[in-house]
Amino acid sequence: MSTDRVILLVEDNRDDEELTLRALAKSKITNPVVVVRDGVEALDWMFRRGAYAARPAHQVPQVVLLDLKLPKVDGLEVLRELRANEGTRLTPIVILTSSVEEQDLIRGYGLGANSYIRKPVDFTQFVDAVRQLGLYWLVLNQPIPG
Amino acid sequence: MTDRLRKALAGVSAAATAFSAQMTDYDALLEAIVTSCSRALDATCTLGLFSADGVTITPVALSSVRPTEDGVLEGLLRQPRTFAQSLVGQLAPGSGSAFVSDIACSDLRAQVNPETYVAIERFGVRGFISITMRVRGEALGVLTVLQHDTTRAPLDDFDREIAAHLANLASFALANARLFRRAQDELAGRLSAEQVAERTRTSELRAVQANAFIDAILENIPAMVFVKDADQLAFVRFNRAGEQLLGIPRNDLIGKTDFDLFPKDEAEFFVAKDRETLRNQRMVDIPEEPIETAGGTRWLHTRKVPILDEHGESRYLLGISHDITDHKRDMVALVHARDAAEAASSELEAFSYSVAHDLRAPLRAIDGFSQALLDELGDELGETGRGYAHRVRSSAQRMGALIDDLLRLSRVTRSPLHRERLDLGELLRTTIAALQRDDPDRRVEIVTAGELVTHGDPRLLAIMFDNLAGNAWKFTSRRAGARIALSSEDRDGERVFSIADNGVGFDMAYVDKLFGVFHRLHADSDFPGTGVGLATVQRVVARHGGRVWARGEVGIGATFSFTLGDTKRT
Repeated sequence: MSTDRVILLVEDNRDDEELTLRALAKSKITNPVVVVRDGVEALDWMFRRGAYAARPAHQVPQVVLLDLKLPKVDGLEVLRELRANEGTRLTPIVILTSSVEEQDLIRGYGLGANSYIRKPVDFTQFVDAVRQLGLYWLVLNQPIPG
Repeated sequence: MTDRLRKALAGVSAAATAFSAQMTDYDALLEAIVTSCSRALDATCTLGLFSADGVTITPVALSSVRPTEDGVLEGLLRQPRTFAQSLVGQLAPGSGSAFVSDIACSDLRAQVNPETYVAIERFGVRGFISITMRVRGEALGVLTVLQHDTTRAPLDDFDREIAAHLANLASFALANARLFRRAQDELAGRLSAEQVAERTRTSELRAVQANAFIDAILENIPAMVFVKDADQLAFVRFNRAGEQLLGIPRNDLIGKTDFDLFPKDEAEFFVAKDRETLRNQRMVDIPEEPIETAGGTRWLHTRKVPILDEHGESRYLLGISHDITDHKRDMVALVHARDAAEAASSELEAFSYSVAHDLRAPLRAIDGFSQALLDELGDELGETGRGYAHRVRSSAQRMGALIDDLLRLSRVTRSPLHRERLDLGELLRTTIAALQRDDPDRRVEIVTAGELVTHGDPRLLAIMFDNLAGNAWKFTSRRAGARIALSSEDRDGERVFSIADNGVGFDMAYVDKLFGVFHRLHADSDFPGTGVGLATVQRVVARHGGRVWARGEVGIGATFSFTLGDTKRT
């Protein structure tokens, strides 16, 4: 069965969403991107429940780009739930945030984040970071079997 | 003059000489009496002295002309007996003297009790003279002459007369010696009484001096010192600091108990602690206790100590109290200030987080969409429009850098200090290597000298070196033969590190402004910067308990020196 290697972008800020999509496009990353805007939506999409109960099963998230500061359920809580669940335990999750707080970084890695990218003010640098990110998680990294 | 008379006179004379010679030595006189009599009369002689009540006679001296072989007679003669049992007591208690020339030719057997006669017969006593020695009517003793020598002529009236003379002389000598001895004893007694008095005076004086010494110490101790007796717990001593603290003169304190002076609950607490101290015979420490004084409630830190007597019983209670009211108030103020500072700090932390997240997001949008504008509509904007878009981007980026620097500055202030052993030379090379990566064409000579291994917080020092080495790197950028040197030297027992460059330097007139936040000595167009770096450096150094200072000369270079406080402490 063929799968769509979907990128799940969890981002509540429309500007950041737009800029991230632009950066992905500039980096020639063509995978379909699904955008959700809070922690609840992110978990619903991942677990195919609520509004996303009807999500096609072949849409497998290749990587989750997760903001930390989110409405309803924050990013770290989303991370914890995804890591606690057998089906999403190994899904690559990259924290994508403005925070420079070391505590966030430590907690993020502690909860099993695969990578941590601080969104720079300079868009050029952001594009560079997204390009490297895409190169690793979408090209070099072998998807989890199954 | 017959030989016998001459001999007798010589004997009496010798006796008189001997008696007066021994006037001052009572015991020697007693011996001299019997010895002289024995020699003068060529017979055994004993001396017994009356007891104070006149009933008993105690033999005190014996001189035997021919000692009996078994010494039984001598032993018998040394035994005390009552006057009634003595020969004179049995034969002539009234006249005080008895004389029997030849027992064999006398009716002695009928006159004395059988035991006495048996003894006389058994020991071969042939005759005797026994004379009670009297002075001014007082009977002192009995002098007895025994003739038990078969080779000697029996005792006669002449012998009796000589014996009486000798007894008379001996009596006076004895009386005088006794007087002398009594006088001497009295004198000795009086002397020793004086000595005792003197000693008492001396020890009293010493005690007074010791007391005055202790008083002087107690008086000047700047803490309340008091002593209570163990029974009543009444004050027996109080020092000046105590009077001042309570605002009550000493005379109104001595003899009083806590219940006379303080509110009931306080007094009960004090007394309970006193009893505990005395019962356990161990010091009790009361870190904080309130006490009512004339000047209001004060707080004391008190130690109570039992004072034991020579039998190990608690005798007194010593109390030493420090007035900690001011200290306590200061501590409360300090705690309030700390709480306020912590509240402010956590507010700042929340603010910093908010700045980091919320301010940077719009900046990102400004920068990102300016780029989008250039990407999508670059051609339509024209050169001027594209120039404006670039300026929007660079301004947004500069503001982003400023925010990042401010966040770093606040993090330096907030994060706890963890000292580790680290090599500043290594840290400089790492820092320079990062700068070199961003600017691969620069050629800068790096020099290190001196002991650069120290103890400091690696993350804070890395931030500091980013700034110091970054400055040196930046300000030497227009110079050929750029050089950055890190060195250390011991100055006044302190290790001083210095980072020196040969860059554009600065005017010492502005040295005071160097470390202030947002203060810059160079135009941004010359050397870009936010003006936060050296403020951050100063905070890193301050966090280590050290100092930082700078020297510079325009066109020559700049040197930043710093210490890292007590590097042994973690």
